[in-house]
Amino acid sequence: MNNRLSFFVPIQSPLHALNPLTKLALVFAMIALAFFSFPWLAPGLVIPIFIAGLVGKVQNQYFFVVTRLILPTVAFMFIMQSLFLPLGDVTIFAFWIFDVTRESLQAAFITVSRIFVMVSSFTLLLLTTHPSELMTDLTRRGLPPQFAYVIISTLQIIPQMQAKAQTIIAAQSSRGLDTQSTFAKRVGALVPLVGPMVFGSLVEVEERAIAIEARGFTSTRVKTSLKDVPDSRFDQILRWGILVIVILAIISRLWLS
Amino acid sequence: MAIVTLQNVTYKYPLTETPVLQNVNLQINEGEFVAVIGPNGAGKSTLCYTLAGFVPHFFKGELTGTVEVAGVETHQSSLNEWVLNVGLAFQNPFNQISGAKYTVFEEIAFGLENIGVPREDIRPRVEKALALTGISDLADRSPYSLSGGQQQRVALTSILVMEPKVLVLDEPTSQMDPIGTREVFGVIRTMAERGMTVVLAEHKVEWIAAFADRVVALKDGQVLLDGKPGDVLTSPTLEEAGFGISRYTSTARKAKEMGLWKKDQLPVTLEEAVEGFSLTPSPSPKERGE
Repeated sequence: MNNRLSFFVPIQSPLHALNPLTKLALVFAMIALAFFSFPWLAPGLVIPIFIAGLVGKVQNQYFFVVTRLILPTVAFMFIMQSLFLPLGDVTIFAFWIFDVTRESLQAAFITVSRIFVMVSSFTLLLLTTHPSELMTDLTRRGLPPQFAYVIISTLQIIPQMQAKAQTIIAAQSSRGLDTQSTFAKRVGALVPLVGPMVFGSLVEVEERAIAIEARGFTSTRVKTSLKDVPDSRFDQILRWGILVIVILAIISRLWLS
Repeated sequence: MAIVTLQNVTYKYPLTETPVLQNVNLQINEGEFVAVIGPNGAGKSTLCYTLAGFVPHFFKGELTGTVEVAGVETHQSSLNEWVLNVGLAFQNPFNQISGAKYTVFEEIAFGLENIGVPREDIRPRVEKALALTGISDLADRSPYSLSGGQQQRVALTSILVMEPKVLVLDEPTSQMDPIGTREVFGVIRTMAERGMTVVLAEHKVEWIAAFADRVVALKDGQVLLDGKPGDVLTSPTLEEAGFGISRYTSTARKAKEMGLWKKDQLPVTLEEAVEGFSLTPSPSPKERGE
């Protein structure tokens, strides 16, 4: 059991080399543009995201996440929205109690584009940024270390918990616990599985707290970090550029409407 | 000079009636390697937590008497200052992996980052600590992919790297094979010789006899015996009180009753036993007239 809960692809690319905060700014800029600027901009934003995927050399992994996770979700949302949005009167087709109008199709398309842009840009961030690098950088900029610790340790400990659950299941079934027959029996089997899991975790939390406390986690001194996360001049200029573009886009929309 | 002083220390965990430690008096000198032995529930772990400041700062409860390390009294200090003087590693290695780091190297650097050691000093200190405990080859592995014994060494290394004045270890070799145990005891011995004070709670009496300077035997939260390993570990009081003793000691005691052990001192380790027995050659079959 060596798998971690991380999308990170360990290669080198221009996107990997960007400062994590710059990438985070790009993600939020994409979301801001998709949601608060001109509605017809949202579908268009998909193009720069695809380009970013190519620049980051993670197009394969990105494509995998899109087809397995994002497309099924947005397709479902698209159908629901176009069926249930009570908009317009130009009915394109109708069946049973549903009227699908041109306006509801348009609105559904804009909404799923927005969702697609949001989830896609976060996916790219996770594919090209090591979680600990992101957290190191944010901690240096003032994020509470406790918060960063919770995020990172959760990513690591969940796979460990899964492994432990497997061990408990194996141990209990070797003592005759039925975990593979009828539904009712399986539900009954949950009790001797969940008990050790929960109580074991409580003990673990205490010990882990002692362990990190022994290593000065709550020390009031200013923390340092082993890794230097570079923040180049280019990154800083890019972040200001992003901010200006987002503000201009939102203002121009307010101006024109 | 005494670096650790416990005076009339009595401690009760919250919501319990009986104290886990009762009137414990203990003085430990700088650079001394003290082993603490005792049956389960004797208070070994609690004593370790007390020295490391987790009693009373973390576990709360009721602590009376004075605990002083490096001239500071526990009640007048906070835990995050205390841990700079006293390092603690304990039994279960899995729960000592911080979970915040992806490689062993980063894991060991975690403590140094927390106490604000400058970046350029972190790398050489971690490398030195890794070499000391002999796990340099694990540096790039994920701490979770290691075996129990390897994780225990990582846990020990991540405390050693912080260079505490007093090192408190609660059964740090519980998951190790004899070779690993020997190496770790060797490392602890080296640290003691370099001036680090070591307090080690441990069951493995033969190792204690070979490496420790002094043994403290705890029973029901009280100090039963305190002295040199050779004296404490072979004391008849220990066996009567239900401690696990070395098989070499019990064999030699039997041998002594039968007149086959001539030395005053009973052995704890195999080497001592071999030496002692060889002094009294038993009559050969021929001499016995067979």
